[in-house]
Amino acid sequence: MATPTLDQFFASVADIVKSRDGVKLQDFLQIEPPLPDIYRQMTNELRQHYPSGPREGDLLRRCEGLVPKFKGSSWTAFSTFMKLYFTFLRDVNVDNLLETYDLLKTLVNQCVLALGDSQMGVIVLPTVLYLSKVLAKLAMGLDRRPELIAHLLRLDGRSNQDETAEKVTLVEKSANVVREAFIKCLTDRSGTPGIHGKPEGKRIGIYLMANLCLKLLFQCGKLRNAEQMFASISAQSPPLKYFPASQRVTYLYYLGRYLFANNLFYPAQIALQASYDQCHRQALSQKRAILTYLIPCNIILGRFPTLQLLQRPEAEGLGDKFIPICRLIARGDYIAFREHLAVGSTQTEWFARKGILLPLRTRCEILVWRSLARKVFIHGGFHGDSQGQSRGPPPFLYLSKLEIAIQWIQSQHTASAQQAYGFFAPRPELDAQAGNNRVGSQIVYKQLDWDFEGVNELDAQEALPGPSLIAKYADYLAPDGYFDAQGQWQANSAGNMVDGQPSADYKQFELDPYASRPDLEPEDGKPTLMMREIESILASLLTQGLMRGYLTHKNPRLAIPGARLRGALPTGFPNVWQTIYSRESEDDNVPGWVQPPVAAAIPSAGGGRVVNLSGARPVGVQ
Amino acid sequence: MSSTQPQDKAEPSQQPQQQQQKSSVLEEDDEFEDFPVEDWPQEETEQGATANGTDAHLWEESWDDDDAAEDFSKQLK
Repeated sequence: MATPTLDQFFASVADIVKSRDGVKLQDFLQIEPPLPDIYRQMTNELRQHYPSGPREGDLLRRCEGLVPKFKGSSWTAFSTFMKLYFTFLRDVNVDNLLETYDLLKTLVNQCVLALGDSQMGVIVLPTVLYLSKVLAKLAMGLDRRPELIAHLLRLDGRSNQDETAEKVTLVEKSANVVREAFIKCLTDRSGTPGIHGKPEGKRIGIYLMANLCLKLLFQCGKLRNAEQMFASISAQSPPLKYFPASQRVTYLYYLGRYLFANNLFYPAQIALQASYDQCHRQALSQKRAILTYLIPCNIILGRFPTLQLLQRPEAEGLGDKFIPICRLIARGDYIAFREHLAVGSTQTEWFARKGILLPLRTRCEILVWRSLARKVFIHGGFHGDSQGQSRGPPPFLYLSKLEIAIQWIQSQHTASAQQAYGFFAPRPELDAQAGNNRVGSQIVYKQLDWDFEGVNELDAQEALPGPSLIAKYADYLAPDGYFDAQGQWQANSAGNMVDGQPSADYKQFELDPYASRPDLEPEDGKPTLMMREIESILASLLTQGLMRGYLTHKNPRLAIPGARLRGALPTGFPNVWQTIYSRESEDDNVPGWVQPPVAAAIPSAGGGRVVNLSGARPVGVQ
Repeated sequence: MSSTQPQDKAEPSQQPQQQQQKSSVLEEDDEFEDFPVEDWPQEETEQGATANGTDAHLWEESWDDDDAAEDFSKQLK
């Protein structure tokens, strides 16, 4: 029997390879259903003539004929790949997605090997990209349907006994395959490589592959694996600006998110803003995705989104999410701010899912404290001599006023929690009760550790000593033995209670070597616990440059010297964004973003800038 | 293998249901979609659209709340 369709296909592929037409080759090597009729005919011919088994050798020999022989070397990886392509068509059963995934992964792996050929590899670049995209789609689809891979998870997990062993998901496995292709593209030695090069040869695929790999790494939450990719790109890629806009925008989006996730908010802001600026103006979905990270990044750096931005179509709904946070930061009510971004509430689920909840919570609270300190200064501070002539004291704020304001905020929240009733009453705002803490923070509520549970709180109904009680007073409460009423020694090996009441307060019988406890009992003139904490918060604001001035520890005050020209408020509480910007913009370099080399870099006095490449390692080295 | 063992069934069949519900929420717009076109000139970008307008005011640097009336102010006197 003849194989007319297959013969024709072979002839066409041979021509395509000869003419090195990679795009056409990819167009021929379809795998995704629904496939045109001609592929079904070809599949039938394959099943009849080249069934699984010894006849596959014949198929491979036919595939070897597809590659032109030159200088004694032949592109065997491509022959093997083509054979795998045919057996894929022959065997694939798309009803079994997991099996399809395995077949496809083998196929992509082989295609990446074919890509590695220095002369011919570039021909399969579009095919590698196409197959990788299908593989990524399949892996991410399977990831969302855990019932299909449940048995795999069980096998991998070895009945969940070894929880510490890291499980490699299908998505991560796919990312690893795509990374191999990325490395092949990046390390192409033809033409001019590196920063002085242009996207040519396999290098045109650098960002296509990187973006696909990053998409998969973000999907499976393995951001750390991206670090090596960014380092390799910094070391070996041609400048990003020479690549098409879609690749630039996508890459800068992922790079920005990566930097954001690593708390490098300033470079993240540059990358995300560039991604937004270069995005096609009609690409609303992408612009919205960029804004989802660009907005919190700016908030953390002290810049809030304007209505003009939030009213754009791509920002629809984002205002409802971010404006309340901005208002709370400006308001200075730290308890309301914490409650608003409480972990686990339904309102914050969106933030948590996007991975921006914790950065916002932890990074913006200092801005809330700045607002509070600023407001208290406005209303309760000494603003200096209004004449500006006399040599009076500089503007200052007694920190006791800040303490009063904090206590007032705490009391307001306690009251509001008490007023609420019913099933949907908000849970009591625990931070509001922190001012009653006998030890530790007066601003962050912390449940007492049971190890330090008070003796008084033991349940008297159950006449059983608690473990903390026994640990301390076992020699009295449950000794090894005792003399009974007849004067006979009774052993007490079971450790039962012999004497005393577990509910009694034994603390008063303890010897206390300390005559006084200054940390517990504030004495006259000594700062309270809360004052200590206020000092440390303000010290943090001062060291970050978010406030200017100095603290006095005795008779605690914040003093704002040098305010005569600009006034106390702008001097003591400078603009947050401008402060951060002037500090960070000294280095506008964004790691992972390759810029064109500066024309004619003449070494200036001082030797010019030193580029630190200590973090850059060769590609492929983990 | 274990997938055919009936005693294993109870748990795994419940888990996927829960996770499916979760994943339907997850799919909202979490992915960065591929662009339908590969390249475009600067005029078609966000920046190009507002090029004549460096007046595009996207970020507010001055947001300090200077409202005179503050509930706690009377506490400070």
